[in-house]
Amino acid sequence: MNVRKMVTVIEEIRAEGGRAVSPPATVAVVAAVIENPWAGQGFVEDLAPGIEANASDLGALLAPAVLEALGAPAEAYGKAAIVGLDGEIEHGSALIHTLRFGDHFRKAAQAGTLLPAVEKRGPAGVVFDIPLKHITDATIRSHHQSVEVRIADAPHPDEIVIGLAAAAQGRPQQRLADLSTER
Amino acid sequence: MQETPADPSAERIGLRKLVTYRDVVVTEAGMAPARPAQRASVAAVIRNPWSGAAPLADLSAGQERIGPVLAKLLCDRLAKVLGGVDRIEAFGKAAVVGTAGEIEHAGALIHTPFFGNLVRELLDGESIICFADARGEAGDSLTVPLWHKTHAATRSHYQTVSARVPDAPRADEIVVIAAASTGPRPHSRIGDRRTDPVVTSRTLEESPS
Repeated sequence: MNVRKMVTVIEEIRAEGGRAVSPPATVAVVAAVIENPWAGQGFVEDLAPGIEANASDLGALLAPAVLEALGAPAEAYGKAAIVGLDGEIEHGSALIHTLRFGDHFRKAAQAGTLLPAVEKRGPAGVVFDIPLKHITDATIRSHHQSVEVRIADAPHPDEIVIGLAAAAQGRPQQRLADLSTER
Repeated sequence: MQETPADPSAERIGLRKLVTYRDVVVTEAGMAPARPAQRASVAAVIRNPWSGAAPLADLSAGQERIGPVLAKLLCDRLAKVLGGVDRIEAFGKAAVVGTAGEIEHAGALIHTPFFGNLVRELLDGESIICFADARGEAGDSLTVPLWHKTHAATRSHYQTVSARVPDAPRADEIVVIAAASTGPRPHSRIGDRRTDPVVTSRTLEESPS
């Protein structure tokens, strides 16, 4: 796994809708900009060797880093794979849609649900939104949220940005009725 | 990164959110830098204190009230995210004013001693702090220049870091940014004033290249 750079983003929301958010609502993202393991190889039918060589290492790199950046227990989480223009979206999906990747985060956050994800292809500086859901029950509506990220010079055409997001709480000023009230 | 829930200083300056960005170059051009530097920016989104004020309104009271609070908020986060003030070698500052404000409002918050002197003091610097400012829309990306905090002419430390808040500034807001780096550019190798040859239009005529 060839990493070019690591990026950390921490958002602290102190007021929303004109009212204070107390304690501040915190969301953190950590992303690794890596060389696309399948760059320059044409159409690769079997992605499994590349997945085995990279996915677990990426999960082990990012999971503790995003929890450290958050500085609090995670209540919601999500993941991202943003593929440079010369790659396939399948390449990004390959690295994040495997238990080898996500289990690191689930274990570190004592979580149980599947990680919601964004997968897209774009140029360096592309804006992407990472969806987050509750770490133990993906139906908990208060925790449905997303965080927007942009890395000025990534991904290059032969790179992939792999990211994890964690939130210490649900949405600021969340006040929607629970899903169960509509059943 | 959390702190006291009801922070009165934050409410006093109309703070809506803080966004911290940090990156570290692990490899550049395929090689690890000799000294991998961490670069960071911290952006505070506040209500423009002069929103709706009369043209040519006096800005001094707002500068004095808001600048020191911002300097402390931003520098505390820079130090934390970069591993301490001692590790910081370069710094810079910036502001983006929303479309209902004046560039002068952005300048009022970053170009006076109430912000600049305190940033310099809190980050243990001596140099004038280089800057960028702009009026823009929410989500505009700003490139913030940095240079060495005690020796501004140190060319290896000329670098930039990007700062962006997806939903700010609103028209009546200002984003104020402080930025810093723990080292030089990766693979910096363009000499320095001490090693530069004398270059004038005349010397270039004498030795065409």
